Amino acid sequence: MAADIHKKKGWEGPNGSLVPADGQPTERSESPTPGLAQGMEPGAGQEGAMFVHTRSYEDLTSPEDGDVASRSPEKGRGYQADQTSMEQISKDFSELSTQLMGMALDLEEEMRPSQEDKMDLSLQTARRDSARSEKEDEDVTMEAWRMHQKHVFVLSEAGKPVYSRYGSEEALSSTMGVMMGLVSFLEVEKNAIRSIHADGYKVVFVRRSPLVLVAMARTRQSEQEIAHELLYIYYQILSLLTWTQLNHIFQQKQNYDLRRLLAGSERITDNLLDLMARDPSFLMGAARCLPMAAGLRDAVSTCLQQAKAKSLVFSILLSRNQLVSLVRRKDQFLHPIDLHLLFNLISSSSSFREGEAWTPICLPKFNSSGFFHAHISYLEQDMDLCLLLVSTDHEDFFTVSDCKRRFQERLRKRGMSHALQEALRTPFYSVSQVGIPDLRHFIYKSKSSGLFTSPEIEAPYVSEEEKQRLLELYQYLHSRAHNSSRPLKNIYFTGPSENLLAWVTSAFELYVCYSLLGTKAAAVSAVNKLMKWIRREEDRLFILTPQTY
Amino acid sequence: MSGQRVDAKVVMLGKEYVGKTSLVERYVHNRFLVGPYQNTIGAAFVAKVMSVGGRTVTLGIWDTAGSERYEAMSRIYYRGARAAIVCYDLTDSSSFERAKFWVTELQNFEENCRIYLCGTKSDLLEEDRKKRGIDFHDVQDYADEIKAELFETSSKTGQSVDQLFQKVAEDYVQLMAFQVMTEDEGVDLSQKHSTYFYSCCHH
Repeated sequence: MAADIHKKKGWEGPNGSLVPADGQPTERSESPTPGLAQGMEPGAGQEGAMFVHTRSYEDLTSPEDGDVASRSPEKGRGYQADQTSMEQISKDFSELSTQLMGMALDLEEEMRPSQEDKMDLSLQTARRDSARSEKEDEDVTMEAWRMHQKHVFVLSEAGKPVYSRYGSEEALSSTMGVMMGLVSFLEVEKNAIRSIHADGYKVVFVRRSPLVLVAMARTRQSEQEIAHELLYIYYQILSLLTWTQLNHIFQQKQNYDLRRLLAGSERITDNLLDLMARDPSFLMGAARCLPMAAGLRDAVSTCLQQAKAKSLVFSILLSRNQLVSLVRRKDQFLHPIDLHLLFNLISSSSSFREGEAWTPICLPKFNSSGFFHAHISYLEQDMDLCLLLVSTDHEDFFTVSDCKRRFQERLRKRGMSHALQEALRTPFYSVSQVGIPDLRHFIYKSKSSGLFTSPEIEAPYVSEEEKQRLLELYQYLHSRAHNSSRPLKNIYFTGPSENLLAWVTSAFELYVCYSLLGTKAAAVSAVNKLMKWIRREEDRLFILTPQTY
Repeated sequence: MSGQRVDAKVVMLGKEYVGKTSLVERYVHNRFLVGPYQNTIGAAFVAKVMSVGGRTVTLGIWDTAGSERYEAMSRIYYRGARAAIVCYDLTDSSSFERAKFWVTELQNFEENCRIYLCGTKSDLLEEDRKKRGIDFHDVQDYADEIKAELFETSSKTGQSVDQLFQKVAEDYVQLMAFQVMTEDEGVDLSQKHSTYFYSCCHH
């Protein structure tokens, strides 16, 4: 199979196209990107993809989620309009304050966008709820609370708190009232608030009736990316409740306290937010595969494929948020967002380690109106290998449980357990394998397969802060490359401690981090070498032959 | 029902945080995990083989999530159950109200299911008697009224945990013996048509 791959050589030679003017951190190259047709790039599956096809990052945020547009008829005005209306808001705050649960607040003072203290959250005494978790004990009046990098709030359209990343929701109910006030205030004017930018903060609003999601971030992410993360939180909530149930509840009772139904799920949402801050899967809108020999992966996939049942839609084998194998029903595709939600669910709970879990779960991108039932179990006690079997029939536990048993038995019979264990021992590869001296790290995504690969983050990105910083640099490049009004195809960025390169084509996305010592010309030619290496290793780094039942 | 053979389905019910998972954990693995509270997602299934009077019985235990979110689909888990262990936290009276809800639910939809009331976290009462959230005699009266067995357990110390599950298994074996005598063709665990035979031996 490798032989015919190498005939598809279109990707070679990027025409030396990365030639931005010196002295400027980022530049857009005018020359055309080389033709590497989608489906031919390294990592592209041989027999079609496993996932719903998401051509680009924008796909994840815009089209189907376009109900924002319907909610803001004058969407065309967009961002600029938001800015001008902010002045209007400031003017009318005293008016607004009367609508906000009778809070005796000088809102005009509080909310003036350019003020340093955007939201004085000390406006009420925090009410403590003793039985809740630690994070809920955090005093929202303290400076430490305000210093968090990113706050996320979810509220209902009635202004009732649903979720807060830090601090208890009760203590924040009036703050959330203000947020809802802002949203509905602009709606009266047939407009929609998208974001507030002030003093290093971005306050981003996402409206998904009957919920409103708000983030207050001090990160370097673009508004678009923060909104993208908020959407993930929205989908996370849908995965627990379904869109149908959520809407039904609020149609019955507008001021319903949704926390009742979400009780115990805060941990899953917290985990999702933490994961998004350190795992590039979410940024890439793709899944990472556990590197392993193609022969082993195919054999495991075959075992998984043979352990099928009528009601099964997806069989997924994963290890620490990396995909080992995925078998799907013919004609049914999983969306990367749904897969990420499943990964997050599994990584956020240790309770799956014991016994076999059987839980209803909605995959919002697949079908937001109903529940699947997921059978979740770890293959062996001390092995980080989790099997996820997604079934359409909630009565089918024992049949699905038997699929697991059959899968394990096949693995054992073919003596693959040991080889699998070996593969799990090296879940990452080192960037030094590529053999490019100045290369520190990279992320490569094959668009047609929805899979990406990335080496282990090594020195000098040792501390958590440094790792975080590297990911933030990628986020920055990503946001520049995918800026909706001015997308870039090639970026060369010279930072204070590293050089970065981004290359986005219709077939793949590549983000590369070099040491400061190299030159731009060297960086560009290294991309060739890197691409060749990825091509050579693709059957280990990607799932090239996805299986169906 | 292929794969694992299960004799009796047992379901754990009760408000979140009363300690259903801890109870199962103590019984099945004989351990008590200290650490941050982890709520169950959906439900977890575990099979436990035990012996009752020289006979082997496999209990299929469904440890359900206490969250209200799963209430609408709780029937999936308790349908056809032979026994339900309805848990409440001895120090939390609201959890007892919730237990009553589950009892009513079972009486309405699963009349074949035997109910075992289980007050959890009894070790907390050892520390401080005043912590008891609901009067023992009230609970006893209620248990008599619904013809349920009553246990007070501690998963931390292991107090009465084995006895509880042993009783569940014994009652099952006893009932089966009775049914074998009255019914020739054996018992279909998942079907409702054995209702008639069961109700005649109901105390």
